[in-house]
Amino acid sequence: MPNRLTRRRLLNSSLLGAGVGVFVFWTAWLDASLARDAFATGYVLYGLVVFLAAYNLRKKLPGLPLGTSRLWMQAHAYLGAGSILVLAAHIGWRWPDGWLEGVLAASFAATWLSGVVGLYLTRTVPQQLARTSEQFVFERIPRLRSRVASDAQATVLAAVRATGATTLADLYANRLHGFFNRPRSLAYALSPTSAARKRLFNELTASRRLLTDAERTAAERLFTLIRLKDDLDFHAARQGLLKKWVFLHIALTWLLLTLGATHGLLALAFRGGPT
Amino acid sequence: MTTSPTTVAAGVAPQRWQAPLDDAMTDTLVERLMRVAPFNQMDETAFPASIPLRGLLKNDTRIRRRAAGEVLMREGDYGDTAFLLLDGQARVTLESLTAAELGLAETPRRAGLGSAIRRTLATVLGPAKPPEVRDRIDARAADQRSVFVQDVSAVLDSKRTALLSPGEVFGELAVLTRAPRTATVFAEGSVVALEIRWQGLRDLMRFTPAWRAHIDRLYRDNSLRVHLRATPLFTSLDEQALERVASAIEFATFGSFDWRDLPPDPTAVDPLDRVRREAQVVKQDDPIEYLLLVRSGFARVSVAQGEGQRTIAYHGKGSVLGAEALLSADNASARWPVSIHAVGYLDVLRLPTDVFLAEVGTTSDKVPVADSELPARTLDYLVDRRLINGVEAMVIDLDRCTRCDDCVRACAATHDGNPRFIRQGPTHDHFQFAHACMHCVDPVCMIGCPTGAIHRDPATGVVRVNDATCVGCSVCANACPYNNIQMVEVRAPEGAIVFDQVTGQPLLRAAKCDLCSDQPTGPACQHACPHDALVRIDLSSPHSLASLVSR
Repeated sequence: MPNRLTRRRLLNSSLLGAGVGVFVFWTAWLDASLARDAFATGYVLYGLVVFLAAYNLRKKLPGLPLGTSRLWMQAHAYLGAGSILVLAAHIGWRWPDGWLEGVLAASFAATWLSGVVGLYLTRTVPQQLARTSEQFVFERIPRLRSRVASDAQATVLAAVRATGATTLADLYANRLHGFFNRPRSLAYALSPTSAARKRLFNELTASRRLLTDAERTAAERLFTLIRLKDDLDFHAARQGLLKKWVFLHIALTWLLLTLGATHGLLALAFRGGPT
Repeated sequence: MTTSPTTVAAGVAPQRWQAPLDDAMTDTLVERLMRVAPFNQMDETAFPASIPLRGLLKNDTRIRRRAAGEVLMREGDYGDTAFLLLDGQARVTLESLTAAELGLAETPRRAGLGSAIRRTLATVLGPAKPPEVRDRIDARAADQRSVFVQDVSAVLDSKRTALLSPGEVFGELAVLTRAPRTATVFAEGSVVALEIRWQGLRDLMRFTPAWRAHIDRLYRDNSLRVHLRATPLFTSLDEQALERVASAIEFATFGSFDWRDLPPDPTAVDPLDRVRREAQVVKQDDPIEYLLLVRSGFARVSVAQGEGQRTIAYHGKGSVLGAEALLSADNASARWPVSIHAVGYLDVLRLPTDVFLAEVGTTSDKVPVADSELPARTLDYLVDRRLINGVEAMVIDLDRCTRCDDCVRACAATHDGNPRFIRQGPTHDHFQFAHACMHCVDPVCMIGCPTGAIHRDPATGVVRVNDATCVGCSVCANACPYNNIQMVEVRAPEGAIVFDQVTGQPLLRAAKCDLCSDQPTGPACQHACPHDALVRIDLSSPHSLASLVSR
């Protein structure tokens, strides 16, 4: 027997399928009755967009019994997925000619695609984040990074003070200081890898035969701090990506709402004749 | 939770007896109480100057008068007071009453929509407010609600009851075990009783050894009667057989009621050492000489594996241990297939096997079969960290949590602009047990509270802090083994941090999850989670977590 989440997916997909069926039947009926179906589908489409955008408003009102956020999220995802069919029916399955309509269709497509990307990210990124040894709150990461960097420097300086040897200090100055103190590259932010961690581990391992006892103890601590810093960077990159995606999705939604309202007002103003 | 000083306002921190249980308690009444038993036998000099007996009676007790048929305490309610019958006679029910008979609603009422809308509009449309603003900071007595039971006479006619006479104490079970009341007590005629809150009862017991012995004896007698009647294993026994079972039973307590010795970092403690330090109740392969009936606390059931013990189950109140092994083996040679340890503390009834076999042995269909849907390492994790104490634990599925913090924002929006939990905590596999009050089976945070500000809601069992009587002493926050209570600096309406005029220190209040008892939506955190990641579940039995794991 499928588990609860699978059963929910099946149910929601069935409901969406039924909704699409009703919509197809309705547009066929409109077409057969020679009605101005572009207006009818336009109302449905804009209504859908407003409902999908209302989810963000719902999030601002957590104390009100407006339904659980997960119910809204399910409705948002499935209706959002289905909305592309309503758009296709509205624009007659062809790219619009007018510049305003073209921009509007493009903004819809961008919003819809950002939604699809977001769905993928929200289903995959949490599992990547969960695999790290510790979990971090995004807002606390800068402070933790700073603490790790200070700790690494203090560890190396203590080893130098203990023995006077500078082998580990040289390695730290040349290879590790930047890793602990500089931000990661844009490429890392988009697609983080553990290459830097592995490379530094290898360099630190290779240098162990050259180290004094005190430096070896410090090197062990550096292994831990490198791992911690890499995990912090990974969380910052992945959590940051999710936050930036939400920002982009909401910005596109506002653009879509504004352009859609403009398009609707113009269409109504210049419709002419009976509807 | 955030607290950063900005400006300064002055106030006075409430003291323990600034808000007495009842303002109507006068010195005259106290004087009269001092002339009746047991107070006339108590040595006033045994009480410290800071907690004098008369002060205790004046501030931690109140007189309750009830007419015939009215209720003094109700089964199922959480209560932090005990009663001493002063005059008249009362009846205690010996059988459980239905929710309808008790006048209990199926679902506890939550706050209305109106207040939720007002709060939301104020948050969304009003100016930004600093966190933890209090309109007033002086101590006020907690609200008291009357309790009524439907159709008392019909209930009295249809149920078995026992008579209570002046001088008898009742209600002490719920107070001592921080558990729901196990019986309902009605006034037989006109009744006068002295209601004693938990803090007062604790101090009376602490400074009067004879009264402590008396309360302990009552606790044992009453708990045995109640427990046997509620155990399915004994439901088919007639009165005589039940009496034989009762007379054969021994009480045993392992560990300490005041358990809270969870190390700051449980992972730093050797797991073998941890189990070794737990009080052993039975040892694997020892002969089964008696059955164990868990009355309160938790038992770790484990089997030897390698050099250590592997947890295979944990059991709480109502469990029967040993019956299955006893009935499935040759009775004479039955041995414990497992070891049992007390997690924190464990209160058990021991029933000798010969009595069990003679009275109950043939009704083996009532013997519960132990099973566990969770892997042993998960059971180990839950028991080692005593997360099994949580009734409303916040568990976050990290494989689904996008770290959007909608839960944190929702909590802050509904709680003075300051979230009542921290979205961090111990992690096992992909589940995080966040630092949010778990509304424990045994809330040890309540043990040391000097004013009773931290208490259980009588109807729902939710552990709440009465802001009006909290003195900011931090005892509850320090006692919570899970670090789920935070002390926050309170602010005046204009945003200034309030400082105590006497000590010059910021005034503090205990802040913790109240399960959004005053919200129409229930817990705002769970309501706000878009991805089904955050749930509030009962960890006192493994079934809820098993259901979450397999969803």
